Amino acid sequence: MTTPMREQLLRFVDELRGEGVRISVAETLDAMRAVAAAGFERGPMREALAASLIKDEADRPLFDRAYAQFFGRAHAAEPRQSDSHSGARAARGGPPNSGAGVMPRPREEPEESIAKAARKAKIQKPGQSDQVRIKPAGEADRDFSDEAGEKNSERREAVGTEATRQARLAAIERAPFEHYSALDYEMAHDLLAILIRRFRVRLGRRLKITGRGRVDFRRTIRAATQRGGTLVDLRFRARRPRHIDVLILADVSGSVRYAATLMLELIAGVRESFHRVRSFVYIDHLAEAGFEDGHLVMTPTLDPYARSDFGRVLEELWERRSELLGPATLMIVLGDGRNNRRPARADLLGDIAHRCRAVYWLNPEPTERWGAGDSAINQYARHVAALIPSRTLHELEHALLEAV
Amino acid sequence: MQITPENVSEGLRDAGYIANQRIETAIFLALALDKPLLIEGPAGSGKTEVAKVVAAMLHTELIRLQCYEGLDEARALYEWNYQKQLLRLQADEYQGLRWEDVSEHLFSRDYLLERPLLRAILAPHRVVLLIDEVDKADEEFEAFMLELLSDFQVSIPELGTIRARERPAVVLTSNRARELSEALRRRCLHLFIDFPSIDQERRIIEIKVPELDTKLAEQAARFVNALRKAGLKKPPSIAESLDWARALTRLGVRELEAASVRATLGLLLKHEDDRVKIESKVGALISHSHPR
Repeated sequence: MTTPMREQLLRFVDELRGEGVRISVAETLDAMRAVAAAGFERGPMREALAASLIKDEADRPLFDRAYAQFFGRAHAAEPRQSDSHSGARAARGGPPNSGAGVMPRPREEPEESIAKAARKAKIQKPGQSDQVRIKPAGEADRDFSDEAGEKNSERREAVGTEATRQARLAAIERAPFEHYSALDYEMAHDLLAILIRRFRVRLGRRLKITGRGRVDFRRTIRAATQRGGTLVDLRFRARRPRHIDVLILADVSGSVRYAATLMLELIAGVRESFHRVRSFVYIDHLAEAGFEDGHLVMTPTLDPYARSDFGRVLEELWERRSELLGPATLMIVLGDGRNNRRPARADLLGDIAHRCRAVYWLNPEPTERWGAGDSAINQYARHVAALIPSRTLHELEHALLEAV
Repeated sequence: MQITPENVSEGLRDAGYIANQRIETAIFLALALDKPLLIEGPAGSGKTEVAKVVAAMLHTELIRLQCYEGLDEARALYEWNYQKQLLRLQADEYQGLRWEDVSEHLFSRDYLLERPLLRAILAPHRVVLLIDEVDKADEEFEAFMLELLSDFQVSIPELGTIRARERPAVVLTSNRARELSEALRRRCLHLFIDFPSIDQERRIIEIKVPELDTKLAEQAARFVNALRKAGLKKPPSIAESLDWARALTRLGVRELEAASVRATLGLLLKHEDDRVKIESKVGALISHSHPR
């Protein structure tokens, strides 16, 4: 491969990295070899690069866009302004990322993961002219500024039905709850089924690897036959669901209700991994929560226009539902801790935490807003085992895994 | 066979596999660069089929390792055939053999149960190794496999190190039951096989169900494509649309119309919710499926 070509590929890889795609050095080398083998024709070269650089289909639309812009520009015949620009840059051998931002990049973000999340969040915003998010794949081609019809059919091939769906799901997983539209919320339900399955597997695995419990005699003997009859490794019975009573308190007031309902549904889906699960929702009162046909049902029904009062909720829990609090109880609170300046009763949370196995607090609010205004979260934080940010479904899942 | 892009696309055509540029390039690269190919995509889009087709193309055998939760080295790589060893021991007992003589027999290839991974390594020529549904296996097993995939050699304490004479062509498939590790993804070439376009699907139906009328094949492909865009719980796969096409020929359907579609909808939709959702829309979907 010629040196200019190699440099161009390196710049392209850099471009993708700038967009938040994680690409290792080994993969870059693979890409070079792949292109050398597949040739420089448009179709094969693009697919060779994609196969060696893009390992997650959710990143594919991004790759296609970057490819069209990058190589469309570099291969154009007449030296347009942007061409001379990139040429000059190559001649100088300057840092590949300098100047001429081909696409808006979330450069100001400090961490790569945040940049990626922001980029994905950007994809899902409805107002934007982003073909990935809103329109079915077929129509997306039309507003994709392109020269030939042949290329259009290529694109239709590249971004298919399922790929589009996956890209959207990946975007939803990293999108903050506060930016959800009703449509996003519906999509999130599709994702939930996947998350529940994943969650169950992870939880199940954790239960399994604990190397204690009752010996499984049959399997131990079987294992021993492999070792000439010596009882070298003991096999254990699969552990029963741990004796944990999960108690959930989820704030369903306007600001955090998407997070709350999604979490309740997620927990409902993995109910059998625990001994008992009790779910409650609250605004200014406590109400038992259940699901019917995928819709949240609460008894008694809460006034959605009420103002949050977690202090009162704690009192109700302590006075009327104290039978739910015991040494096996794992209490998970989801809320932003905004109490409308009513008494926080953090002392009561301390008492509850004392009676329970542990109390975890998941907060869907951005970390920088914690404690600002009427947020009493810092008072509560002192009494819980952990206060975990859960702004997105992705974070929520990890927070729950940490808690249980 | 010489590995060139042309040969690969020809080989795919000969095997009756309708591929696009993306699939062709990925298969070619996996063979040319000798790298494992990780295939993802919705269930029933032809992931496993790729491995079979590659085996047919290379005129070699396909060795398949089906992954599941709890799969371990003993099931995937090798295991000593304890029962057979025991019988041998009993047979030897009265001949007054010393342990050295006995052990030499007992731990020889005769008493080794070769599991798929070892079979692929021991094969005298290049085989295709299909590791199916790798997402179902545990993370520990994935780590073990990574090591194997990087140098294709195993150490069996009693026999020594065995290295593959010819590196197998490896195809992994995943349905995303869980996220695969970054390390595995980095080591593989990646291919995502989506549902086919209308045109591809028509060609697939024509090849696999040749007795179906060409016009009807086109309509069927359009109808299935419309179903997949209807936001169903489980969109119909290619295998299902082929079953459906076969049913249509058996029923002697000449033209797609609401009654026969409703009667056969169960072949395409496997969820009651989906069926209820679509049943009322069948008419509209059909009228869209008529080629304009």
